[in-house]
Amino acid sequence: MFDPFRWSPGLRRFLNWAVIVLSVVFCLLVLPMRLPGMELLGVAPNWMLIWVVVWSVNRTVWEGAIAGTVLGLIQDGMTTHDPTNVISLALVGILTARIRKQRYIQEDFISIALIVFGMAVLAETAIALQFSLGSLQQRNVNYPSLSEIWIFHQQIALCSAILSSLWAPVLYYPLKRWWRMIETVEQAQTG
Amino acid sequence: MLTVRRWWGRYGLRASLVILTLMLAWGLRQSQGTVVYELYRFLTLPFQPRVDVQQVALENATVRELQTRLVELESQNQRLQQLLDYSTTQGRGVVSPVIGRSADHWWQQITLGRGSNDGIKIGDVVAGTGGLVGRVIQVTPNTSRVLLITDPTSQVGVTVSRSRVMGVLRGQAGNRAVMQFFEKVPEVRPGDTVVTSAISQLFPQGLPIGQVESVDFRKSPAPEAVIELTSPIGYLEWVIVSPNPKAEGLEASELENRAADSQDSVLEEVAP
Repeated sequence: MFDPFRWSPGLRRFLNWAVIVLSVVFCLLVLPMRLPGMELLGVAPNWMLIWVVVWSVNRTVWEGAIAGTVLGLIQDGMTTHDPTNVISLALVGILTARIRKQRYIQEDFISIALIVFGMAVLAETAIALQFSLGSLQQRNVNYPSLSEIWIFHQQIALCSAILSSLWAPVLYYPLKRWWRMIETVEQAQTG
Repeated sequence: MLTVRRWWGRYGLRASLVILTLMLAWGLRQSQGTVVYELYRFLTLPFQPRVDVQQVALENATVRELQTRLVELESQNQRLQQLLDYSTTQGRGVVSPVIGRSADHWWQQITLGRGSNDGIKIGDVVAGTGGLVGRVIQVTPNTSRVLLITDPTSQVGVTVSRSRVMGVLRGQAGNRAVMQFFEKVPEVRPGDTVVTSAISQLFPQGLPIGQVESVDFRKSPAPEAVIELTSPIGYLEWVIVSPNPKAEGLEASELENRAADSQDSVLEEVAP
């Protein structure tokens, strides 16, 4: 029954898409949830960021950028589009795809956790910069002052980075196994 | 032409998939994630706290407030008055469970398990045990999103009920908020209760908010007080959503704008 080598290419492609879409939906649904152990000073893991990192690790820069844009748009819908998440997530996708993993770091839990840690800090910084810009331009009277923004930034970036990197394997391990299996089957069938 | 066709033959399928995905994501963004939130509510339905109106009424004001009042003998009378005020303004409210928190770290929001099907509208006032919690900023058929008063971008016009000194309450993530006074030497001391003021454009007058914890008179440009909020904003399980008389006069689109940047412009003008 569960023999990937007997799946037709059409079925395989469909299942692959289904897994991708379902994992994104899973991340979306976990976002507003606060389970015990998922919260540090009111900050939860950044699931969108984890997904983008896991996706981009073995893909091209373009694929990373598109995934970041798509997830950023969805997250904007769930929160607010000013400041937008598109910029930070697209940046994360591009940079993760550009890291030369083979040369510098092994592809395992530790390195994924490290990448997620760095990217989380980067993403929150991108948002803090947008806030600061808005605050300087007086675009929105209610933006906090610069000093407040950067105090929040320290707190949020650190908590988000720690939690996201600890929770990253939850998403990384199953997805990596699935994509590796798909890859093996594809090679076996074409080669 | 040939190159275009060759490119299309090679990447056509992929390109159209990418465009389709981008369009879907854009749609989700424009609909404010309605589909996601509805799905979230449906899936978490078995885990949501059961809301029993009678139990809520019991738990609502008396039990918790009485416990705190034993300690705070001094403010007992004022609190009791506010409690009366509170229960009369909450008469027509919809009791709704809190099913989720903010989907982003920068915003202090909660998601409720009731929406426009239960008569909730944008701008409605949200109260928890003991006081004001926030304001509805987005509604889907069965869920609604609330901007908490602890959000850094939220500003509420407030007044100290003992001396009627006015100021603006700004959120500071957590269960604290900062009240900025308009006067240089405000008549205020720790323990004073703070309620929404008459000039707030977003909230009706006299909703209890919290107590003054400490005052910093040397703060520039205006003195500030740290306010401890009465409702346990970090542990809300259910809230009462009631129609906002001040929101009814405003146009819906104007309210949405207001919800987006949540400002009390009158207060901004008055503030030094």
